[in-house]
Amino acid sequence: MKITVDIIVNGELCREEVEVQTTLLEFLRGTLHLTGTKEGCGLGDCGTCIVLLDGKPVNSCLVLAADAHGREVTTIEGLAEDGRLHPVQQSFIDNGAVQCGFCTPAMILTAKALLENKPDPGEGEIKQALGGILCRCGSYRKILKSVQAAAKEAR
Amino acid sequence: MNRLKAFAYFEPAALKEAVEILTRNNGGAFLLAGGTDLLVRMKRGVIRPAVLVNLKRIRDLNGIQGDQESGTRIGALTPIADIENAAVVHQNHPVLAQAAGVLGAPPLRNLATLGGNIGRASPASDMAPSLMVLQARVAVAGTSGQREVEIDGIFKGPGSTILAAGEIMTAFIIPAMTPHTGAAYLKMGRRSGGGDCALAGVAALLTLESGEVGKVRIALSSVGPTTLRARKAEAVLLSGALTDERMQQAARAAADEATPITDMRCSASYRKEIIKVLTYRALQEAARKARGGMTT
Repeated sequence: MKITVDIIVNGELCREEVEVQTTLLEFLRGTLHLTGTKEGCGLGDCGTCIVLLDGKPVNSCLVLAADAHGREVTTIEGLAEDGRLHPVQQSFIDNGAVQCGFCTPAMILTAKALLENKPDPGEGEIKQALGGILCRCGSYRKILKSVQAAAKEAR
Repeated sequence: MNRLKAFAYFEPAALKEAVEILTRNNGGAFLLAGGTDLLVRMKRGVIRPAVLVNLKRIRDLNGIQGDQESGTRIGALTPIADIENAAVVHQNHPVLAQAAGVLGAPPLRNLATLGGNIGRASPASDMAPSLMVLQARVAVAGTSGQREVEIDGIFKGPGSTILAAGEIMTAFIIPAMTPHTGAAYLKMGRRSGGGDCALAGVAALLTLESGEVGKVRIALSSVGPTTLRARKAEAVLLSGALTDERMQQAARAAADEATPITDMRCSASYRKEIIKVLTYRALQEAARKARGGMTT
């Protein structure tokens, strides 16, 4: 069974016909070839597939593309503006928070959403917000430092 | 990788239409709310629904209304994160915000809904114990119209409720709290600060009347086939002064009446131990809030 969806991805309206069982993750990677969003467990445990849906972090492996119809999705590809990286992206580079990089898009998008709501989060708040994402390289300290640095930079 | 198998898909715009699809498919249709549990079980092959009915296009199922006099009404499609953050919940029923804040990880809470959490009837539900101690009622729509049922009797067993095949939970109605009432929900998982399935959880509510226990309700998660009321523990505390010794006695009673299983998460005996510790702590926290003049 197919369905036509209109989803605004990184500011651009995408109209596509998809099978109803297509997840938002499969839609982004397979249909739109936006492979910055990663598939880890596919079961909502690891958080690597997180994208922003209407500005809020969600596990895209547990959202049907059909359910994202009429909504706005932001992926890691949508953060840079005019070739300039988003401050959180730049901070991850400056602080060496990327090792294998698999969890990085999810970490950066979640941190961006947090800083938009809470420009000056405490350490506990950052840890809580990023708590749904596993980093198997164990770069948590540097990820935390990057988010703190990005928050400080923005002030 | 985990892929979803094909299904027929409906997005009804009205509740009546959703009820019709459910009835027509006679148990073969599943309701899609947040999807955080349903899609996982479909990917794992635990269930294979022929039909999915997405409820999100139906108006008025999502939202929180309420005040201190009339209580609070939470639509079944309200995301857990909205309950965690709503000012009206923090003011009138903070224990619900406390429970919402430890359910799964933050990105899941943006998707998961209250109706999905209760409709799933998992014994490990983080929301059911608080709704139980608050004596919430569930608004249900079906072929013969609307009805309201007490949440206390709604669970039949793991994954099963008393709702008929064509019925849909539409809202949760939480009565306003009496003065000098405090409540708490405490949970033990593997990750700190929530994020994980509860090994065991305890919600406790206390109303103090002239320093004595006027009302007490205790509900336990993950230690039986459904969320359980710890009635023996409640009986220990009911009427009389609230002393530390009686709270400890009630905690032991709660551990006694819990009927946990041993599984990959932990052993039954450890779950009983957790119930004892968390019941005591939840009662202490509820008492502190009740004495502070806060409502739950």
